[in-house]
Amino acid sequence: MKFVEHTGQETVIKLENVSKIYKGEHMALRDATVEIEKGEFVFLVGPSGSGKSTFLRLLNREETAEKGKIYVAGKDIAALPGYKVPYLRRNIGSVFQDFKLLPNKTVAENVAFALEAIGRPKSVIREAVPQILELVGLGRKEGSMPNELSGGEQQRVSIARAFVNRPLILLADEPTGNLDPATSVGIMKLLDRINRTGTTVVMATHDRGIVDTMRRRVIELDRGSVVRDQARGVYE
Amino acid sequence: MAVRLDYVLKETGSNLVRNLTLTLASLLTVAIALAFVAVSFLIGTGINQSFLGLRSDVQMFVYMNPGATAEQIDSVSKNLQSNPQVESVKFLDKEKTYAEFKRLFADQPDFVESINPEELPQSFRVKPTSTDADVVSAVGTEFENMTGVYRVEYAEEYARQVQKSLSTLNSWVRLFGVALIFVSVLLIFNTIRTAVFARRREIEVMRLVGASNWFIRLPFMTEGMVQGLLGALAAAGLTWGFDALWKRNFVNQVSFELLNQIKWTGGDLWKAIIMILVVGAVTGAVGSGIAVGRYLRV
Repeated sequence: MKFVEHTGQETVIKLENVSKIYKGEHMALRDATVEIEKGEFVFLVGPSGSGKSTFLRLLNREETAEKGKIYVAGKDIAALPGYKVPYLRRNIGSVFQDFKLLPNKTVAENVAFALEAIGRPKSVIREAVPQILELVGLGRKEGSMPNELSGGEQQRVSIARAFVNRPLILLADEPTGNLDPATSVGIMKLLDRINRTGTTVVMATHDRGIVDTMRRRVIELDRGSVVRDQARGVYE
Repeated sequence: MAVRLDYVLKETGSNLVRNLTLTLASLLTVAIALAFVAVSFLIGTGINQSFLGLRSDVQMFVYMNPGATAEQIDSVSKNLQSNPQVESVKFLDKEKTYAEFKRLFADQPDFVESINPEELPQSFRVKPTSTDADVVSAVGTEFENMTGVYRVEYAEEYARQVQKSLSTLNSWVRLFGVALIFVSVLLIFNTIRTAVFARRREIEVMRLVGASNWFIRLPFMTEGMVQGLLGALAAAGLTWGFDALWKRNFVNQVSFELLNQIKWTGGDLWKAIIMILVVGAVTGAVGSGIAVGRYLRV
């Protein structure tokens, strides 16, 4: 009889021997096997080009792996037909270094856009948008345009947009990469708060200070390979 | 998931206005291209309707005596069909002959009234394998002396020349029309592609938050459709004007011996206009759907 290790948590992300090869030769990810449970906060660290972004892009099927299997919420995402990929992405919020806000829409419109785009009714949007803006601390900026905001505020808008649909997973690709340390702390507090609601957060980062302060699980990549996977880890 | 109508309308409207100059420019070109399509359709129809009794491929008529017996007709028919110089034969019985007669003389009802269908000769319309006058007349003389044959008539050299050049003109006009439809498709496609490119960030965000492909595509498709329709409407106006000018200047004007034969009805005009409206709307919608497609690949 075989005993399965039971942690009392469900696995939301699972990579089994995943390799991603660009242009037939460059291995962006090499035989990676990782399991992430619901509610975890995971840092992906490693030098530029080590495969952090590829790791994230594989999870919402912006990229597909050449080898191995990727499961998100128990589903083999490579097996999803194209028309179902949008439904996968509704469970995954994404935050980027460059915010990716729409410059001709106000703060509230940018957030509402995420709900409009998945066909949520107006009544839901009217309620959810002010609520989430309050949560990220931008309750008074809903009418502002993105270019009137500071970098930190813009990142808060983008986090609000990623989280307004209450996704299972939040992927953040260097969310503090364009921000000064003090502003970064605010963003990390916000991500931590979102994590406490049960949302799994996977964040790629170069920010040693943040990783060392937060002491969460750290997965280190080097030239595509997972070289370290450490609970309550540090940057190096 | 239902795509909300108000969302689609809002997006379509704001995009058309945002790219106003580009929209106008492509709209005008589409209008001109589609107007040419409609005009070439009208001219083509007009050419086909000219010389009603004489199809370009019929070179010779074999008229039977009004009193010819069924055996006689049958025998001529068999001989014609087995003749190696004959490519095709069509028999016009009394009923068909009368129908054709009524159409040819529709403007002279009194004359039509005075004719008894029984008195009309039945005939064969013969297309020889060659248009060469010698070959045609050789075939003709062969049948002139058969029993029951009243006489053999040949399409006159002049009429045949006219017919030939008109049908050449017709095929050029049609070809031109098809090429112009193609041009309109490319123009609409290109405008939408520019619009899509201008909004690629928006599309990227929509994909990230999990918008379905149709949700992203639909506003662009209605935008393309509206553009195509507007262009077609302008083209309909131009076609209307062309129709009026043509009628005033050429139709029934003795001095234009060839052109005055090319005429069409009000129904044909409507057909042309409906055709370009449909072409405009469909190519606009489909072209946009394709233009946005490359940004949707997952």
